[in-house]
Amino acid sequence: MRTTHVDETMKREAFKTNQTMALVAAVAGWIVPGLGHVVLRRWSKAAVYFLCVGGLACAGLAMRGGTFGAGAEDLFDRLGFFADLGAGIFYFLAHQIQSAGPDVAHATGDYGTRLFAAAGMLNLLTVLESYDIGRGGEGK
Amino acid sequence: MNALFGGLTHFGALLFFALVVSITFAFLSKRTATERLHYTLWAFLAFLLVAIGIGWLMYPFSQ
Repeated sequence: MRTTHVDETMKREAFKTNQTMALVAAVAGWIVPGLGHVVLRRWSKAAVYFLCVGGLACAGLAMRGGTFGAGAEDLFDRLGFFADLGAGIFYFLAHQIQSAGPDVAHATGDYGTRLFAAAGMLNLLTVLESYDIGRGGEGK
Repeated sequence: MNALFGGLTHFGALLFFALVVSITFAFLSKRTATERLHYTLWAFLAFLLVAIGIGWLMYPFSQ
């Protein structure tokens, strides 16, 4: 009986630790793509995710793509804001990375906007994976 | 960065997008290096074929 109680307590502690680790990894992975996997010591995944998400975001900005702001009024712009926000630090540094600003009057700029949003969505997928691994899931 | 991506053609942007997304999906969903390579190639070609196919389907409406 006593052993069972100790086992339960240990399980609960382990669950709390996993939960904390999962949240730390998820937040770190959102702020800097791949950082969540660094926290979890998944080095190759961290490097690939940083290069892929960062490359896509930088390509979008280099093509003079725009980013959506928090004060968007229509639903499409609001969805765009959440997609962009997924890119983490690349969203917050967008104006520093592309100082010339967006030019969505041309098709290239419009494509850039989509590439940046896609980078944000990809990063959200990697964040979910790092949360899952942090909770004790195997991950692939 | 601007020199590298700024002059990207539309088709170049499509290739880049397809490659990057395929690699990320492969790392998210497959475990071994061989599986990841196969998945990357398969997804890259699928992106390309679907994009070109949709382009052909939409072509008559652009006239």
